Amino acid sequence: MMNNRLIYLIKGELIRLHKYKVTSVSFLIALIWLIVLYFVDGNIFNDLLPLLILVDSTMMSLMYIGSVMFFEKKESTMSSMLVTPARNSELILAKILSNTIHNLLSTALIIIVFVIVKNVEVNYILIFLAIVFSTLYHTTIGLLLSYYQKDFTTMLMTVMMISFLLLIPAVLFSINVLKSDIWEYILLINPIQAANEIISQSFKPINLDWKYYFSFLYLVISGLFIYKFLVLKQFKNYAISISGV
Amino acid sequence: MSSIFEVKNLKFKYKNNQENVLKGINFDIKEGEIFGFLGPSGAGKSTTQKVIIKILEDYQGQILYKQKDLKDYKQDFFEDIGVSFEMPIHFSKMTAIENINFFQNLYKKKADVEKLMKRVGLWEDKDKMVAEYSKGMKIRLNIVRALLNSPTMLFLDEPTNGLDPSNAKILKDLIREFKNSGGTVFITSHIMSDIDQLCDRVAFIVNGEIKEIDTPRNLKIRYGQRQVKVEYRDNNKLIEKSFSMENLGNNNEFMEILKAKDIETIHSGETTLEDIFIKVTGVTLDDEQ
Ligand SMILES: Nc1ncnc2c1ncn2[C@@H]1O[C@H](COP(=O)(O)OP(=O)(O)OP(=O)(O)O)[C@@H](O)[C@H]1O
Ligand SMILES: [Mg+2]
Repeated sequence: MMNNRLIYLIKGELIRLHKYKVTSVSFLIALIWLIVLYFVDGNIFNDLLPLLILVDSTMMSLMYIGSVMFFEKKESTMSSMLVTPARNSELILAKILSNTIHNLLSTALIIIVFVIVKNVEVNYILIFLAIVFSTLYHTTIGLLLSYYQKDFTTMLMTVMMISFLLLIPAVLFSINVLKSDIWEYILLINPIQAANEIISQSFKPINLDWKYYFSFLYLVISGLFIYKFLVLKQFKNYAISISGV
Repeated sequence: MSSIFEVKNLKFKYKNNQENVLKGINFDIKEGEIFGFLGPSGAGKSTTQKVIIKILEDYQGQILYKQKDLKDYKQDFFEDIGVSFEMPIHFSKMTAIENINFFQNLYKKKADVEKLMKRVGLWEDKDKMVAEYSKGMKIRLNIVRALLNSPTMLFLDEPTNGLDPSNAKILKDLIREFKNSGGTVFITSHIMSDIDQLCDRVAFIVNGEIKEIDTPRNLKIRYGQRQVKVEYRDNNKLIEKSFSMENLGNNNEFMEILKAKDIETIHSGETTLEDIFIKVTGVTLDDEQ
């Protein structure tokens, strides 16, 4: 599936993320988190780090792809892409994968620093997988959301609303405000909760339970479904509608 | 000459609209010609271009490209064609050459970018951000973009719109050269003089219907009132008269004026494409009101 053109397109997207200063913004945010977390003490820190990584790989993923799509819309560049030999699936995958790589880097930065400075114990393979799949999933969702947003402000509002709607219950659950078993099951269909499960279970001590596997499969399967039947299918109409020519 | 494009009974409707924007149009584009598509604003020129370059896909009717149904072509169709849209489109925070190189690498065939950019006078400014380009520069860059894969067919939507006369001339020369090297061109415009100079054949589209297709020359003959207009002085009054060119030598009134009067101006009234445009499109515009 990985072909040369896709890799070329991903490279192009990453260069543009840099040129359009998205990279600078995300590293600045990572830096702010680093400073904040550095001064937080032991117990809270252990709860806060997974939470921060959760926010970074879910909400921030939605935000970044949202703003990227907004830039693109403003410049109508999508129509130029439509008249090249590049396939729609390649254009979309390039967007999703480049944003995933980009977000992965800033998240990795935070983790690496804390592994070094605060001796955080984390399973590298699990946390890598967790961040990649959470980010992939939420970037895909963010792309889909951007199809329906007319301007930057509504885009931000929608992203905020959706992420808070999904994020807050997940957080309340993980800090034991929502306690009953029913919540445990209801929240399983919440992708941010799924991300929460696979991220928090990547920190030591590792003890993967059925919720881990369920969440993982849930993100992969529903993510593929959303990509194939919603994002890919509606892409061309969306691209034409923003082409403005 | 064989047809490179055959469009049969093409209808198209935008999703949010009630009515068809294209109402069953028929035309073909011959290999190696410059085919002009004229019509008033909102007639459906850009829509037609977008349908035949496979951007808008839910159309009715049949479109053949090189004798094969357009729907049977995959994305590699775009290896073959070059497109310039109505609005110039580039990544504004990248330089002109970065833009061009980025797009060119997506194609198998590659034109000589340096030559093209020199030709349109942008080579000197190739390392400037596109955001710093003037409108005319962006339009010229658009043409380079359309040509960067050495296409066999070129689609240009209002290419001279917004260019000063000398740049418009460069562009027209470029289009002619493209044709002379064997390329085919589809061009939409409402700048009649450009079309008149460039096109082998033109189609007039009004309100989603094609009203006329012919060579500019034939149109002029058909629509032309071949007349001679004379202005002369009679008792210090300026008088203007028109005469049909048919059998002009035997027209006594005309001959008398030539002999007896003090002629100030004399013009043969060749119809311009602009006159024809107004004639062909104006009718329908009146009907609408
Ligand atoms: N994306 C769209 N959605 C709905 N209607 C559209 C869309 N684009 C164009 N139209 C309508 O289709 C008709 C034809 O538009 P088109 O852009 O093809 O005209 P045109 O001949 O290119 O005009 P112009 O000379 O102004 O460029 C117009 O009535 C226009 O309002
Ligand atoms: Mg138009």
